[in-house]
Amino acid sequence: MIDAGATSFIAPRSTVTRGVDRWTRDYASMLRWHLVSLRLWLMVLTVVQVLSGVGFVLGISLFFAHIPVTAALFVSTGVPVINLLMVGLILGPQLVADQKSSGSYEYLRSMPVSRSVSAAAWYTVCLIGGIPAMVVSLVVAQLRYDLPLHISPMIVPAVLATALAGTMLGYALAHAIGSPMATRLITQLCVFVIFGFAPILFPITQMPGWLADLNWWFPFRHMAVIIRAALTSVPDSTVTQAYLVLGVWVVASAAAAGWVLGRRQ
Amino acid sequence: MTALSTLADPLHPFETQHRTELRSGVSYWLASMATMLRFDFGRMREWAAMMVLIQMCMGAGMVIMYGFFYPQVTASRALFIATGAPTLALIPLGFVMLPGGIVQQKLEGTFEYIWSMPAPRSAQAASTFLLYTLLALPGTALALLVAVWRYDVPLSISPLLIPSALACALVSITVGYGMALAIKSPMVTNLVCNALIFVVLLFSPIVYPASQLPVWLLDVHRVLPFYNMAVVMRAGLTSGVETQVGASFIVLAAWTVAGCVVTAWVIGRRR
Repeated sequence: MIDAGATSFIAPRSTVTRGVDRWTRDYASMLRWHLVSLRLWLMVLTVVQVLSGVGFVLGISLFFAHIPVTAALFVSTGVPVINLLMVGLILGPQLVADQKSSGSYEYLRSMPVSRSVSAAAWYTVCLIGGIPAMVVSLVVAQLRYDLPLHISPMIVPAVLATALAGTMLGYALAHAIGSPMATRLITQLCVFVIFGFAPILFPITQMPGWLADLNWWFPFRHMAVIIRAALTSVPDSTVTQAYLVLGVWVVASAAAAGWVLGRRQ
Repeated sequence: MTALSTLADPLHPFETQHRTELRSGVSYWLASMATMLRFDFGRMREWAAMMVLIQMCMGAGMVIMYGFFYPQVTASRALFIATGAPTLALIPLGFVMLPGGIVQQKLEGTFEYIWSMPAPRSAQAASTFLLYTLLALPGTALALLVAVWRYDVPLSISPLLIPSALACALVSITVGYGMALAIKSPMVTNLVCNALIFVVLLFSPIVYPASQLPVWLLDVHRVLPFYNMAVVMRAGLTSGVETQVGASFIVLAAWTVAGCVVTAWVIGRRR
């Protein structure tokens, strides 16, 4: 007695499965994989993200005897950008560096899912790790400083684009750089840059002109522009330009990561 | 045959020689430390230059970066940033890079390997302390130079700076080392370090006057090492800004002892 189920179990599949169905199914599995394997990490991370976001919003007032509204506004609308970047750009590459050190990296790469599925699932994890903290930071900022915030629907594409650019850049850092130590160093450098050398937390006029110009070539300044434009009613003519620059960074990073991941070893 | 017959035991030619050696005493400890120092430096050599460079960039970078947060950098703000910068350059090395290095060693298994070596563990720890202190100094000095250049701050350097800098380096490295050893899970170590550096960079009166803090927070800082590090460093760099350094030195000494005790306790245990 051989039934149909047993036959298909023995014989290899004769049809290649691809297309949207396969992609969605793989995506759901990968997302579940990430969420389950990182469940503890994600919970701790969310708490840390909320605490650091709120901490930054409240802590900045200690820098001043009396904090000016502009300073409070810039910090409060800049912290969401940092919250969104934290998982994709900073912690993600460090996680991959740890996986490379411990050997689980090769195992994860051996899974039968396409590169776009892996990237999409990871992007979702980054959003899950960033958005709650972003919301809490904004609420606390509003309560503490009573800011003139004006949230427009553009916040949705702004958040998605910022997280996507950060995640893809982090993806490229994690996979396209061979040495885990180098990856760690570069992500540390990125932390430093996003806190102090990119005009995210303070007005661009407070940094030297050449540094502001240099920042035009990097994505962080533009992330701050689109998020801030969506959170305040101050008109900013550089929003379209910012989306374009971010788009270029997304494509370049995804191409670098995709090329490395697609190579045979 | 003649060569062999001169040895006491031809089957185990080296064993007898080693057994007669005394494995204790000051000279043995110093020799072990020197060997460990060579071993640690040898392992680190590939990254030592890079670490010093990062340390220098971070020190100098923080000096410049704090200025960006202010619409105007007034003379008193500049003085606080400039004299806080060397302290800020010392803290990440002890509280972030050193524990990070230990985490890496634990993940790779090197940590256990080093412990299995026939050198006193106190000599192994001392070699790490020394090496990291040496790595910390260039960044600290550069941070100060950059601050003077960027903000044009008048400093009056007193001999107090030498004990101050040593105390700060020591406290940061001993506490960081003790923490990295005492916490078993590498992930928790990472988390604690990152949280700490965050608290230090934002909520500690290192680059701004302590009077801007709420009273309760200042009271907390009086017993934590960070504010006291800033006080003794500032006292060595200026005259008249910080007058009460005795209490700060006592707190720093207490933290150094605590770090050493934790380290001694962890490395002295059998598993």
